[in-house]
Amino acid sequence: MGCPCEIRLAGSKDPTTEGEHCLGEIRRFEAKYSRYSEDSLVSEINRNAGLSPTPIDDETDSILDYADVCFQLSDGRFDITSGVLRRLWQPDMSALPAPDDIAEVTRLIGWQKVRRKPGEILLPEAGMQIDLGGVVKEYVADAVVQLALKLGVTSGIVNLGGDIAVIGPQPSGEAWDVGVADPDDSTRAIATIKMKQGAITTSGGYERFIEIGDRKYSHLLDPTTGWPADNLLGVSVIADQAVVAGSLSTIALLMPEDEALSFLADSGAPYLAIDTAHHIYRSEVTL
Amino acid sequence: MKKIILMVLTLAFTAGCETVKPWERDILAQPGMQIEADPLDAQLASQVYDSKEASSGGNSPAGGGCGCN
Amino acid sequence: MKKSPLAVLTSAALALPAFAATQPSETSISVKASHYKEEDIAASDVLLGSNERYDIDVYQFQLTTPVGADWSLDVNVNREIMSGASPWGTISDFATGEPTLIMSGATISDQRTEVSATVSRYFTDSSASVTLSHSDEDDYEAKAIAIGGEWNFMDDMATLAVGASYSSDDITPTDALMFGRVTDEEKRSRSFSVSWTHILDRTSLVQLGASITDRDGYLSDPYKIRDTRPDNRLEKTFSAKYRKYFGGPGAAMHLDYRYFRDDFGIRSHTLDFAWHQQFGDRFRVIPGIRYYSQEEADFYLPADSFLIPLDQYQSSDFRLSSYGAWAFSIKGVVNLDDWTLDLSYERYISAGDYGLDEPEFEHPALLEFDFVTLGVSYRF
Repeated sequence: MGCPCEIRLAGSKDPTTEGEHCLGEIRRFEAKYSRYSEDSLVSEINRNAGLSPTPIDDETDSILDYADVCFQLSDGRFDITSGVLRRLWQPDMSALPAPDDIAEVTRLIGWQKVRRKPGEILLPEAGMQIDLGGVVKEYVADAVVQLALKLGVTSGIVNLGGDIAVIGPQPSGEAWDVGVADPDDSTRAIATIKMKQGAITTSGGYERFIEIGDRKYSHLLDPTTGWPADNLLGVSVIADQAVVAGSLSTIALLMPEDEALSFLADSGAPYLAIDTAHHIYRSEVTL
Repeated sequence: MKKIILMVLTLAFTAGCETVKPWERDILAQPGMQIEADPLDAQLASQVYDSKEASSGGNSPAGGGCGCN
Repeated sequence: MKKSPLAVLTSAALALPAFAATQPSETSISVKASHYKEEDIAASDVLLGSNERYDIDVYQFQLTTPVGADWSLDVNVNREIMSGASPWGTISDFATGEPTLIMSGATISDQRTEVSATVSRYFTDSSASVTLSHSDEDDYEAKAIAIGGEWNFMDDMATLAVGASYSSDDITPTDALMFGRVTDEEKRSRSFSVSWTHILDRTSLVQLGASITDRDGYLSDPYKIRDTRPDNRLEKTFSAKYRKYFGGPGAAMHLDYRYFRDDFGIRSHTLDFAWHQQFGDRFRVIPGIRYYSQEEADFYLPADSFLIPLDQYQSSDFRLSSYGAWAFSIKGVVNLDDWTLDLSYERYISAGDYGLDEPEFEHPALLEFDFVTLGVSYRF
């Protein structure tokens, strides 16, 4: 997954075996959906861009359906075809990309152009890419929780690079204390949230960023402009499913600040947002 | 007896109806908070009371009848 | 109203395969054994026959298991073994005018076996089920089919459940020729029910329900000396069930009310209260009180009349008289990992003057019984 993962299981009969099952589930998703692996389904879909439809299974179909809902809900900001922008925005780059290059690459973006039929997908132009990382990373956390529950684990927590999904409260029945990191110092928490179930995800430019000169740019790229999203510094959202929390926090981060804050307020989920001036906004719903 | 009905309904609605988010449903998910906490007990109770009293129904969707004299 | 982003994404997420299972995620097997004995009738109230009543053992078996990703199967077997005597009729005592009983001999013994199977299919926001059941005893056979559907609304804050059932019963009384009883009669029932369950807040929910049942065919009691009832009966119920959790004591309160009325003229109220007290993770103790009161049927007579022609309605069945009943129960539940054990005791008493509508003559056959149930269930 390209980030630290942690699974804590308690209240189970055989934590080693159950832990292995959970790790197996993570590896299965990684092998299937990682854009870094040549053999993954995602790489195959991307290789076939502009050539021929790629057959896909039901699971992938439903993940694409979910990504489609995110695309609609965010007016095109949450777009799994926007990954091509990473060719321009590299973590180790020293100068801004040329506007012509940005325009060129932006033409390869557009989920609405993707042709889908049940069981297959075609990216119509050579060079187009999909990246399911923005959905799958959180969905894996959910899948691990569901798997653990099916295995009879009653207590535990899954932490996939800051996206946290709770299997069940601590063996004592107490909630887990989940910290939301300070954007300036990731070893400090700006808030601690008690969680017995559900999931919390954090999206922010501050965890992974591109530094050019003395400016930090978010690793989240806005497909509508081709530029890094320069909005809220960080957003944490709580929902029953990590995948839902993750898409809400990602969509909010891709919106201009005002729009993002009203989107979060109307979202119906508890949240915590930090703007570039380090103001903290909290939902009225108890976090 | 009207009073009892009223009491039950008033009790039931004084709490109002706010949206309870999925992650706030830990208490509602407890076994003791289910409408039928023990389906076999509920089935047995209906069977016994239905055969000894004139009333039946209003519990779970109906099943088969019995002679029960 | 526009759905919130959370609602839109949640319903989209629930279509993902990891969340597809709302059906029972594990298999469970439950077995219960119950015993109860109806108390003897005072010898002075019995003119003829035995004053001993039924002694009943009930064995219940239930298997619930998921089948594939979207289906579940439920199998129930219910076996009852009963022996004792049953009221045949009631006649007025010449001296006091009070009804006295004519009982059967203490020789009746019967067994009933009921088997039912339910198949349910689960969808994202709804489920559907079909149940087939068959019940068989010496003198009675019932075949029934039921269908049900459930839909979740308003971000799963509310559930609408609708059910319909049809039952076709065959009545073939024993010793029919010897006692001039009917030999083979039929009875059919059609029932519709609807309920709305609503989450009120984090700690309470309510269910409101209504049902209507239409029975036709032979609705009389073939074993009674004089018992002629209409061959149509329309029953209606309205019910409210309330669940409230109290964090202080760590207990859930159950409060159920049911109103019943039919076109025999019977009206009844049932009020049920139970307190589910949790002690730690493993123990639950559940005391309960149930109150029941009914008004007699229009054609109920305290004593059988041999002057009324056979084709006119009359019955002296205690079930159709005015009375009230109290039931006091206590149940203990122990959870041991995959096992659950429970033991419960109930005391049921009924009397004419417990009712809201006190009758002139209390029926001498009103019941009192003690009920003990032991249950074990295992999940895997």
